[in-house]
Amino acid sequence: MTTSIVPQLIVSGAMMGLIYALVAYGFQLTYATSRSINFGQGELVMVSAFFSLTLTKLGLPYWLMIPGGLLFGVVLGLFVERAAVRLALEQKSEGWVLLTIIMGLFFFSAAENIWGRDDQPFPTPITSDALHVLGISITPLEISVAVGVFTIMGLIELFKRTTLLGKAFEAVSVDRDAAELMGISTTHTVMLSYGLSGLSAAVAGILVSPITTVGPTMASVLVLKAFSVAVVAGLDSGFGVVLVGLFLGSLESLTSYYVGSGWREAPGLVLLILALAVRPTGVFGKAVIRKV
Amino acid sequence: MKRLFVAMALVGLLAVQAFAADTIKIAITGPFTGGSAPMGASMRDGAKVAIAEINAAGGVQVGNRKMKFEVIERDDEAKNERGSLIAQELASMSDLSGVIGTVNTGVCLAGDKHLKEKGITKIITPAAGSASMTQWSKAGVKDLSIFRFAAHDGIQSGMVVEEAINRKFTKVAILYDSTNYGVSGRDDLLNQIKAQGNKLEVVANEKFNIGDKDMTAQLVRARSGGAQAILIWGIGPELAAVANGMAKLGMKEPLIGGWPLSMSNYIDNAGKNGNGTLMPQTFIEEPITPRAKKFIEAYHKAYNVTRIPSPVSAAQGYDAVYIFAAAVKQAKSSDTHKIKEALEDLREPVPGVIAIWQKPFSKWDPANEETHEAFRRAQVVMGMVKDGHVVFGNDADRQRLTKSAAAPKRK
Amino acid sequence: MKRILFIHGAELLVLVLLACIPIAVKNPFVLGLLTLLAIYGILLIGLDVTVGYLGQINLAQAAFLGLGAYTAGLMVTHFGLGMISSLFASLLAGLAFGALLAFPALRLEGPQFALATLSFSALVTIGLNEWESVTNGAQGLQLVRPTLFGLELAAQGFYWLCIVLLVFVWIAMNNLLSSQWGRTFEALRDSPIATDAMGVGTFRHKVAAFALGSGLGGLAGGLYAFNFQYLQPQSFVYELMVILLLGVVLGGRKSLWGALVGATLIVLLPNLLSNRFLFQVFSIIGFVIALVAGGRSYIQKTTKPFQAGAPVVAMGMLVIVAIFFPNIEDLRRAIFALMLFSVVVGLPEGVMGFAARFLSKLFHIAPAPLAVPVPLHTVLPIRDPDGSPLLELRQLKRHFGGVRAVDGVSMLVQTGHIHGLIGPNGSGKSTLVNVVSGLYKPSGGTMLLRGRALPHGSLFRAAQAGISRTFQNLQIFSELTALENVMVAMKGVYRKSLPFVLFGLSHKEERYAQSCALALLEMVGLREEARITARDLPYGAQRFLEIARALARRPDLLILDEPAAGLAHPDVTKLIEIIRDIHRIGITTILIEHHMEVVSELCDVVTVLDGGLVIAEGRPVDVKRHPKVIAAYLGANA
Repeated sequence: MTTSIVPQLIVSGAMMGLIYALVAYGFQLTYATSRSINFGQGELVMVSAFFSLTLTKLGLPYWLMIPGGLLFGVVLGLFVERAAVRLALEQKSEGWVLLTIIMGLFFFSAAENIWGRDDQPFPTPITSDALHVLGISITPLEISVAVGVFTIMGLIELFKRTTLLGKAFEAVSVDRDAAELMGISTTHTVMLSYGLSGLSAAVAGILVSPITTVGPTMASVLVLKAFSVAVVAGLDSGFGVVLVGLFLGSLESLTSYYVGSGWREAPGLVLLILALAVRPTGVFGKAVIRKV
Repeated sequence: MKRLFVAMALVGLLAVQAFAADTIKIAITGPFTGGSAPMGASMRDGAKVAIAEINAAGGVQVGNRKMKFEVIERDDEAKNERGSLIAQELASMSDLSGVIGTVNTGVCLAGDKHLKEKGITKIITPAAGSASMTQWSKAGVKDLSIFRFAAHDGIQSGMVVEEAINRKFTKVAILYDSTNYGVSGRDDLLNQIKAQGNKLEVVANEKFNIGDKDMTAQLVRARSGGAQAILIWGIGPELAAVANGMAKLGMKEPLIGGWPLSMSNYIDNAGKNGNGTLMPQTFIEEPITPRAKKFIEAYHKAYNVTRIPSPVSAAQGYDAVYIFAAAVKQAKSSDTHKIKEALEDLREPVPGVIAIWQKPFSKWDPANEETHEAFRRAQVVMGMVKDGHVVFGNDADRQRLTKSAAAPKRK
Repeated sequence: MKRILFIHGAELLVLVLLACIPIAVKNPFVLGLLTLLAIYGILLIGLDVTVGYLGQINLAQAAFLGLGAYTAGLMVTHFGLGMISSLFASLLAGLAFGALLAFPALRLEGPQFALATLSFSALVTIGLNEWESVTNGAQGLQLVRPTLFGLELAAQGFYWLCIVLLVFVWIAMNNLLSSQWGRTFEALRDSPIATDAMGVGTFRHKVAAFALGSGLGGLAGGLYAFNFQYLQPQSFVYELMVILLLGVVLGGRKSLWGALVGATLIVLLPNLLSNRFLFQVFSIIGFVIALVAGGRSYIQKTTKPFQAGAPVVAMGMLVIVAIFFPNIEDLRRAIFALMLFSVVVGLPEGVMGFAARFLSKLFHIAPAPLAVPVPLHTVLPIRDPDGSPLLELRQLKRHFGGVRAVDGVSMLVQTGHIHGLIGPNGSGKSTLVNVVSGLYKPSGGTMLLRGRALPHGSLFRAAQAGISRTFQNLQIFSELTALENVMVAMKGVYRKSLPFVLFGLSHKEERYAQSCALALLEMVGLREEARITARDLPYGAQRFLEIARALARRPDLLILDEPAAGLAHPDVTKLIEIIRDIHRIGITTILIEHHMEVVSELCDVVTVLDGGLVIAEGRPVDVKRHPKVIAAYLGANA
């Protein structure tokens, strides 16, 4: 029994880490094209989850509900881009920081009044009855999250590398001005990135909700962790978020056990500040050469 | 900006004076938005059901005329500084009859001093943290206008420890959230274990944060210490995360803890993993008495819900209003100081949904804060989660309450 | 005069009003709000240093409020200190932790800086929560307001203390931010590279700015503790931070008034919903304002349709909520979101940014008159070039991975010369000067200035050694005026230390710096444009501004990196004149240039680079005929 403590802690922590990584991935997508991130990303996760829950309650089967929820996420992402980001980008100001925060406040309040203030369970056909493998307990639900994270990230990366639209996306992330000169519309690409980011938020909402439950505050802690993971990994690191997410999740879990549950987050935070001080562009980020 | 401010202040004062004459102004405060909102909003809505009933019947008989209640709502967002400012605002209203509410003990500690200074009557509900009343006894306050209408943690933790001992457990783990509520609950539990003869060994003493979803580390500690039960003090969805985490690790030990374990966000989200959880209850959403039935139905109808988010908060809000109304009637005045006097010596029993209240409060004695606490051990029962509802944990309690509702006896 | 009267008159008026309200209105609630207003005023002035002046998203100010509050609380409960000493301790705690955090956060910008500060706040909360033996953890710390020199302060007295401190902070920060320090903070925001290259210590100023802002946070925390007399770690978390950030931006960045307006907004907003009728009135007024302003700017096409229309839609939603929704308290966050959205979209420079523009138009307030320029030779005394070697490079190398951008360059620059550096694109010219000026570390070789080794890889230390430069891609401080751009770089005039500056004892040197800067602007023909914000200057003028700024360093060696790039013909002529003037003063110049005519006309010696190597050197006429040079420029077959 005792021998499995450490692996158990690492596996459970890593599962949380993957969830952080999935939300963090949403930050990356928009940062790549527009150097902006949606500080209300957590609320996007939450509202998509609520919406999907409503679809389920209307009697839609789980597998049919998913496309509906994802579509809603895309629409939300596009809405955020239009209402909170585009103007600031056009003015080359940092206004998007506040506007996305404000948008998040609005979504939060809307959710409170539409769906109630309480946390609710999210039904799923995948069972949460644990499997016991080598003394480690893990639920199929958690495994589904892991599978989902890799699937969606893989699909989006594949999209970026193989389709024309995806290549435009890559081009804009590398050099906005040059891409513009080549006739790629940055505005459309930024829209695309926010749409994809909304999509990944919806995926997170649907996958994570059965574990975390659905409620207005479900993502407020999650999103701060995800932000940390995204920045520490590097906002252009691609799969780097997964590694950092896994690391942070396991570290938290181990700290909680060995140092004390109140200090759960502390070592992660200290490491985070140090990592940033040593590598400002992130552990897996590309170092930039200063040009003048 | 300044002119605006002065204008606002003036309009505020005018508005206050305009309604002064024929209503009983009562303020309801608590967190109506944000994380603690399920409790705050349920309390408010329960209180408003009572107020609607009273007003529909023409109001409270005050002397020779009837006065209706007028409600002032203030959302403290569970923030101490908002709570403090709201208390200052309420304290500066010249014709306020009283205040009902507050969910967070910290908000009580930050704000109630302003109300106490002006002698404004407040009935705290459902904040249960011990400190909100003990602060006054510690300070040796001679005269107090703050009352509490909630099963305070002293009672609750006593019952939790007692339950664990009754079930012949010897090793327990304590889990608590990192808020004021959780930490003072932990202290209460430890004190009670000592007071009840040190029969329980605490094998793990673990904390979790609001928003935590992964409780593996804490639970593994409890398991490896050989805990036979988990005593838990927390609010909200983290409780469900503990229950679900236990199921995942294959732990079958019961959860015993404070009353928030009866809230729907625990019961729903823990699902079948919540079965068998035990918690002290002042009110169980089971229509065992006609009054309870009437209240539950009125609440469901008024807010178009099929279940109350926090029945305990709602019922306490409801009963607190009736007790307050009784005090107004007895004082024959809407003056907050006279209401306070009346509350300390209520002559008529007040029928509520939780119990029939006989002299819930008495003259404040700094040596004994129980004088301003309405709840005694007797009004509190052990509830147990069963298939999505809270039922009586011990059938004896159920029978006792059904009987007492039929024939009230003096306490 | 009118300006001084107006600004200080307004300050005095608001101060008197603030101080007198408690005498007129005997209402503890109003007093409570005002006290909080004063405290948040100090807090936001501090936050504005990083958010407004340094231009960074600082998410740690709430944590400094908490640190200050707990410091004061512990000083009182554990050590029994009095009011003043406790507040002083809070201030120190803020300063110390601010400086501590500044070190790792120094290299960071944008999201990285935001995250570092956010992590720090989280650490502070954890620390306060877990260190139960001292802070009493989550159960909170109750304290009693200490006496002020033995005097018991009631609510009113305490309020006045807060106001007095606010006034102190206001004056000190006003002095600081209108001095070289304030300019440097802004320069750091607009171009850290140029700030370094101008020999102004980025490091020192960033630490100072952050520590100072945090110190004010700590001080505000001390007052917060004595105001509420009950502290809990959870009060100082992310949620409060977001509110503070909104306050600064709504009020208007880079403005003390903005901070005060922001504080007023965040203190009053939550109470707006208390009176439904009042809220309806406000929302309708807001809607009308948005409609009129939006309509006007839409018709005049001064803003984009979205900017004109979105606030109208948001305020319209607000009116609908105000009139039809039964329980407005339930919607408070959405209501605030709508209002904030309208303000942020409609008034991007904040309430005060807008009001300042509007008021100065309304009252025709002329800006303060400028100083009289000193004669140019007092700023740049004429030097007597003796032809001795100034800069000597031996086998200098700089490789980027496999790319040998500079691959063993040796050259000699003599004092008083204009030394041309030419070569085709990618020949290594820019890399060479970037190595010399300290932007890149050399991969090998030596660099000597007057026979002494030049510092490697530090723009700042190279600038201190006497090198000054302009940039091929402009690095002006875009939000400073032309005058301020030059004043930032002015060497050898700012001698007063920080305390003197805070107490406003640096006016004299400030005035002198202005005179010197004006002389330099006159030299490049920009004296009339002194007050224009640099980013609004025409392109050519921005290039000349960079030259004036580089001259303010009174350099031994001036490096002009393609100064004629993108210039129209009349500007090129003007540029040639300016460089001639510089030559006449006797300042040694390295000129990187594509325009052969400019080079031929000006340079004493020309070095030609190709592929990271020197292929020719000599007088312009000789070099032009050199076969290797012709080959390099026209291709190998020519």
